[in-house]
Amino acid sequence: MAEASVRSVRGRSTGFRSVSAGRFAPRHAVGRLVLAVIIGAIALVWAAPVIWAICASLRPFEYPLGSGNIWFSHRLTLANFAKVGSLAPFGHYFVNTVVVVVMTLAVQIVTSTMAAFAFANYRFRGDRLLFQIILIQMMIPTAALLVPNFATIRLLGIYNTRLAIAIPFFGSAFGTFLIRQAFLGVPRSLVDAGIIDGCSWWQLLTHIYLPPSLAALTAFGISSVSFHWNDFLWPLIITSSDQSRTLTAGLVRFTQLGEIGAQWQYLTAATLIVAGPLFVVFLIFQKSFIESFVHSGIK
Amino acid sequence: MRRSKSSSRPQFAGPGVTDANGPGVTDANGPGVTDANGPGVTDANGPGGAAGGRRRPRSVILPYLLVLPTLIFVAMFTIWPTISSLLGSFFLQRLNIAKYREPTFAGFANYATLFHDPTFYQVLGNTAFYVLGSVPVSIALGFLFALLINRRMRGIGLARLALFHPTVLPMVSVATVWLFLLTPDYGLFNSALSFIGYRGAQNWTGNPDLALLAIIFVAIWKNAGYYMIFYLAGLQSLPREVFEAARLDGAGALTTTRKITLPLLRRTSLFVTTIAFIGAFQSVDHVFVLTSGGPSNASNILLYYLWQVRFENLNVGVASALTIVLIALLLMFTVSNFLISERKGNLDG
Amino acid sequence: MRKLVSLALSFAFVISAAGLFANGQTESPAASGPISIQVFYPVAVDAPIAQILNGYVSEFEKANPNITVKPVFSGGYNDVKTAIQTTIQGGGKPPALAVMLATDLYDLINAGYIEPLDPYLAKLPNRDSYLGDFYSSFMDNSRYNNKIWSLPFQRSAVVMYYNKDLFKQSGLSAPNSWASLAEDAQKLTVRNGNDVSRWGILWSTVGLPYWLFQPLAIGAGKNVVGSSDTEVYFNTPECIAAIKFYNSLSQKCKATPSGAQDTWGASPGDLASGRAAMIVHSTGSLAGILKQAKFDVGVMAVPGEKPNTYASVPGGGNLYILKNAPQDQKDAAFKFMQFLTEPDRVADFSIKTGYIAARKSAYETPAMKDYIAKVPQAAETRDALQYAGKELSLQNLAKVRNIFQDYLQQAFNGKLSPEEAMQKAQSEADASLKEFK
Repeated sequence: MAEASVRSVRGRSTGFRSVSAGRFAPRHAVGRLVLAVIIGAIALVWAAPVIWAICASLRPFEYPLGSGNIWFSHRLTLANFAKVGSLAPFGHYFVNTVVVVVMTLAVQIVTSTMAAFAFANYRFRGDRLLFQIILIQMMIPTAALLVPNFATIRLLGIYNTRLAIAIPFFGSAFGTFLIRQAFLGVPRSLVDAGIIDGCSWWQLLTHIYLPPSLAALTAFGISSVSFHWNDFLWPLIITSSDQSRTLTAGLVRFTQLGEIGAQWQYLTAATLIVAGPLFVVFLIFQKSFIESFVHSGIK
Repeated sequence: MRRSKSSSRPQFAGPGVTDANGPGVTDANGPGVTDANGPGVTDANGPGGAAGGRRRPRSVILPYLLVLPTLIFVAMFTIWPTISSLLGSFFLQRLNIAKYREPTFAGFANYATLFHDPTFYQVLGNTAFYVLGSVPVSIALGFLFALLINRRMRGIGLARLALFHPTVLPMVSVATVWLFLLTPDYGLFNSALSFIGYRGAQNWTGNPDLALLAIIFVAIWKNAGYYMIFYLAGLQSLPREVFEAARLDGAGALTTTRKITLPLLRRTSLFVTTIAFIGAFQSVDHVFVLTSGGPSNASNILLYYLWQVRFENLNVGVASALTIVLIALLLMFTVSNFLISERKGNLDG
Repeated sequence: MRKLVSLALSFAFVISAAGLFANGQTESPAASGPISIQVFYPVAVDAPIAQILNGYVSEFEKANPNITVKPVFSGGYNDVKTAIQTTIQGGGKPPALAVMLATDLYDLINAGYIEPLDPYLAKLPNRDSYLGDFYSSFMDNSRYNNKIWSLPFQRSAVVMYYNKDLFKQSGLSAPNSWASLAEDAQKLTVRNGNDVSRWGILWSTVGLPYWLFQPLAIGAGKNVVGSSDTEVYFNTPECIAAIKFYNSLSQKCKATPSGAQDTWGASPGDLASGRAAMIVHSTGSLAGILKQAKFDVGVMAVPGEKPNTYASVPGGGNLYILKNAPQDQKDAAFKFMQFLTEPDRVADFSIKTGYIAARKSAYETPAMKDYIAKVPQAAETRDALQYAGKELSLQNLAKVRNIFQDYLQQAFNGKLSPEEAMQKAQSEADASLKEFK
């Protein structure tokens, strides 16, 4: 089908060409430059809010933000970070957050891969019904979850623990859904060949299904980590001491505008403290992350 | 009532699908209806049924064991709350009226209350507008971003970070930062708009005609980079030979994208559409911070309304009914979306 | 099958490893021996509330060795309420003490979450003088059915901030009526062509518009809420006049942007940077404004319609005792409540946080007198209180408030005439209150 459409467009050409999977690759230097400018411009526009946030976080509190004066004041300071840091035990929160996020992701990967494999590879009675039931997890609003899940956590006797923050997410509909989609994309011929070769289900999973699906697993990892890193209401309600609380508990006190106006300097500083580690991790790993996609794609 | 024209459309299955996907998917709106098998029908695997093209082994016990861990946790922390919402929706319980503090059976009274509430319809309309306004645009941008940054180039890492970073920012911070950006007169957003020649209304959060748009802008900015990740993953798994062939045939980038990349990424698009659609119903922090649903309910969307009913008005019964309506709406969408995706799945299998 | 077993084992391992990470704690220690209580509190101002409270706790524990107090930061006001609701409905034991909005009174009573303080107060030898020492406009939100349900703790009020230097330069004196307010606002507005470089006044009407609007209605002569728990007065001539006055500030005087405005977040900064000559805001933002402003900041109650009348409205949080806590904890909680409301501590809390000290005698303490000598505005915020009416608080509060705000904003945005809007607000509010009569 794809080839037919390729033939039908023969003869038309622009300055851009596609050399690898879905990649615009300009032939000429000028084209490359134009493309670079376009990418740069979009990136700049998209990053403008966070660039402003960085500026605001470095602005001494004494200099209010106002017209013609929203980027830099004539002095920069780290005092906002110091002040924000002094108001909550961010170091401890950081450790808790990492523990919760890693624990959640580790369990999710195992459970979701197993379930996704079952749904993608087997026919069994009730498979669709079970799948739809699991998917409800993505649809139910938090407002409906708080009270019953609080009761369950109490029953389990783990109130005010990091496990209590993580455990409701150990089964992941999103992960199951995403990984199943990836598994369904594995060419049928490969699976058939594996079956004919007498692969056990375990070999089928690890040798045939998983390798081409690493990109999807990575994407799942990214979304799981960013969601649980930033979740705040559930961790706040299910814990009652700094020993088990996460970074967002430190952030939330700066997002309350109730009795004061917005304190942009503190809020932006707190936000960068909370999100900073994720930025750094992404910047370090993005290259290998994209590369890993490339490798898994060649299979 | 404003925007009621877009409300009460029973089928939400359209937006993302038709807009974000190329040829071959636009016809996908109907099949959910024509399919003989309803949702959840276990034996849907006739010759033309789900993934029928794949020779999936039948197995008696193993698949259940594999699904079991996920199922246990989902049952404990999702299905149980869903059931308790379902039960609760048939009981009158209002915590702020002493005599209704304990639940009493009321049949469908909560649903009746809901369906007689003009605000509910306004909120449904707003939600439809919000979903239609934010989902297709963020998906399209996510796809575009993925195409743009899927390359080796100096400084591309920073560009990737720039496009992706909103995903990892907490929504409540994002919304508060945008509160500043949207400030009339000197906010960055208005400055940018006037730079490109726009001289219109500026009061984004106070003007009832703009408030929902402001919410939509924030959602698009936050989510486009997220969807980009899935398109990136999808792009990487495409067979390279096809593109080589296209290149040799002299096909241009736009043509290649339209005729090859998009159709091949159909599965990704369906996935992204589904999560974007569901996600649009689940995000609410920006409404809390930016507009509190106002002015005059102009930016009140379903989940925010649910919060109001449950935790402000303390009407547990009606909140449960709303929860069930919300889940039913989303299930309807995903089930029809699945029937489509499974059928189309056969074609490229 | 062996693979499955090994997979199951590794899965079990992950789970148990996860269990190891969990630093389990029991929900509350056994009742015998020392009594331990929890206090749920929100943070809504720019102050190290956690440190301040911990300081009070260690003082208290020194004086009461058999009681330990554990303050639990629970987010904003809404989050505290959600956490308590979740705890109680989820079958858990609530904290013995919590700081929640003063206006939540009726909801909390109806839900059966709180209990009256009268039994505890009755045991005090100085009950009457103790209660009488709290400012009455704060206590208005504590009384219902001849009982007292809460004590004022972190309280604020709506005031008007103005740039005294600008007023002096323009030869103006502080406004004392709507007419002079409008005139001053108009004179102090500065335009460069189409752009406004300084607004005469900024007055936020998005977010919680009812609160900043109430001083207008009170200033017109009739508050929007009555003394009973089911009366509202939205369609009164006074309320309508108040809307018209607000609209005239933009339409006639061009001294404020037109329509509903979300200037809550930005306006303290706007005042400090000189973009606004006057703002109407919470006393909670005083500390921030004083830090940022490079001019003499004036604080006053909002001028009323007639000359030399003023108006304000209180806000903020009270201390509540939760009914479902064990009795020994509740007794300890009341002790801690008393401790927190001792004049010295009230003064200290006010100085450190910027909240208005809730007791008159706090202003007689040496620490407070010193502070006022340095920061006279702290006394001005208190002085505004004498003009304060009751904050909108009644049965079915959230619903009634939303109705009111909905139509208020329609009137500000010109979608309905003020008369029509308030007529509808009144009838919808009355209808929603029927079940509560």
